[in-house]
Amino acid sequence: MTGPAEFTYRRVHRASRELLFDCLTQPGHLTRFWGPAGTSTPIDAITVDLRPGGVFATTMVSDDDGSSYAMRAVYVEVRRPEKLAWIEPGPGGGMTTTITLTELGEGRTEVVTRLANAAAMLASPEGRKGFLTSLDRFGGYVAALTGPA
Amino acid sequence: MTATAAGDDLSLTFAALADPTRRTILARLAAGEATVGQLAEPFSLTQQAVSKHIKVLERAGLITRTQVAQSRPCRLEPARFDTAAAWIGRQRKTWEDRYDRLDEHLAALAAGPGEATEPRGEAK
Repeated sequence: MTGPAEFTYRRVHRASRELLFDCLTQPGHLTRFWGPAGTSTPIDAITVDLRPGGVFATTMVSDDDGSSYAMRAVYVEVRRPEKLAWIEPGPGGGMTTTITLTELGEGRTEVVTRLANAAAMLASPEGRKGFLTSLDRFGGYVAALTGPA
Repeated sequence: MTATAAGDDLSLTFAALADPTRRTILARLAAGEATVGQLAEPFSLTQQAVSKHIKVLERAGLITRTQVAQSRPCRLEPARFDTAAAWIGRQRKTWEDRYDRLDEHLAALAAGPGEATEPRGEAK
């Protein structure tokens, strides 16, 4: 399932898979590095419900002008310490982010981050089912956030 | 926010690109304009089936169809590809920065066991 709608980023870190996985899934860690340079990610604006169907949400705030960018996603796969995946539902299928952690020995871990358009996932019945479940849960989460109209 | 609208457009673009037949059509159009009939030739598809793919590509802004000629040839819209390429560039930058900062965070963790809330000049 490769195509131009994908993006893969590889990186080797000097840390165990367990620690890296925790960094990627614990608000106390995420707030230290999640926002790219020039932004911060306040810990009270991070939601992590670490289970398939659970919410993963962050808000990145620009250091310059205070403008913010909110990310709202739902975990699709949670397998400490080797794999983590979430989907950001959206028109046209939304997007999935999959992070795979592989031990290289000598305390090094390869982290592969793959972004893929979820439209491609919908080709298989299982993919479709999983996606719809995520969407339902995400819809419920958004509804709870926004409250009754 | 306009970022959301741009994101929706991108979803359309990437959804359109996810199909191999449509990618082949785009590859053909990279060589120059073509009519629906010409685009259908290499496939064992009917013109109607190809027309459907063309509509998806059109809606995604990846191609346009000339209004003047009766055959209404299709042509690539490079601007949309640039948008998609720019998106990929932004993602690369975001994740690069993010993992750079993760490395700094890991270094701080290693320097000060059990404590990483404040950057510190010296490790215990």
